[in-house]
Amino acid sequence: MSDPTETLTLTMSRLIPATPAEVFDAYTDPEKQKIWFSLLSDEPGIVEIESDLRVGGVQTATWGPSRDELITEVQTFEVIDRPHRLVTTSRGHDPSGNSMETQIDVTFEDADGGTMMTVTQSGFPTVEMRDFFSTYVMVGAFDRIVAFFERAA
Amino acid sequence: MVHQTLEADTRLDDAFAALSDSTRRGILVQLGKGPATIGELAEPTGMTLTGLKKHVQVLEDAGLVTTAKVGRSRECRLGSERLDDVMSWVNFYQRLWERRLDGLEAYLTLQRGTDE
Repeated sequence: MSDPTETLTLTMSRLIPATPAEVFDAYTDPEKQKIWFSLLSDEPGIVEIESDLRVGGVQTATWGPSRDELITEVQTFEVIDRPHRLVTTSRGHDPSGNSMETQIDVTFEDADGGTMMTVTQSGFPTVEMRDFFSTYVMVGAFDRIVAFFERAA
Repeated sequence: MVHQTLEADTRLDDAFAALSDSTRRGILVQLGKGPATIGELAEPTGMTLTGLKKHVQVLEDAGLVTTAKVGRSRECRLGSERLDDVMSWVNFYQRLWERRLDGLEAYLTLQRGTDE
C-alpha cells in the first residue's frame, strides 16, 4: 500500500558551461532572466520579472504571447544558499484561471568545468493519481512524461 | 479572475478527494474497461445500489465520471475533464523547464563566447 502523502516529483538536470556562481546569478537576476527566457523564443511576446531575492521574498514572473494569454508564476524564496542551492514554493496561474502550487529545489554543482544544474519540483498530485493515469486513462501520453518523474523519497 | 482561480482549485481538490477512496478508485478501474450501469458496478462490490450511487455521485461531482439515463438504468462512463486539468499542469511544467534550461544554457554559452 503506497503512502497517501507521497507526491510526484519532476526532476531535470543540465550541464551548463559556466561556474556555479555564474549560473546561480543568471538564474536569479531578474534582468538576466528576461534575456535568457526570451532568447530562444520565436516571438518576443511579453516577459516581466520582478524579484526580491531574500528568504521570504517573492519573485513574480509573467509571460505569454499577448496580454490575454499570460501565465504567471509566483515563487517565494525558502532557502538561498548562493551558489549551491535555491528552494522556493511556486504557484503557477494559467490564462484560464487554473493554478497549482509546487515546491522547487534547484542545485548548482561543479562538474567537468561547468555546472550541473538539477531541478526537483515536487507537490504534484498523489501516487494514486499517477497510477490511475498510467493504468487506465492516458497510457501513451503518460509514458512519455513518466520519464521525467520519480517517486518522492 | 480570482473567482475563476478559486473555482479551478476547488475542482482539483474535488478530484483528489474523490480519488482518495479505494471503492471509488475501484469504480474508475471498472469504468476504464467500458461503460457500466449502477447495478453492474455494485455487483462485484457487494454494496447496495444506494451506497454505490453515493460513490458515483462523488465521482460525478468531481468530474471524473458522467452518468446518463439509458432505458430503466443509469449508465456511467469515465469523464476526464478534471484529469485533463492535472495533465495540463504536468505538460506545462515540463515545457517550462525545458525552455528555462535551454535559455539559460544558450545565454551562458553566449556570455562565455563574448568573454573569450
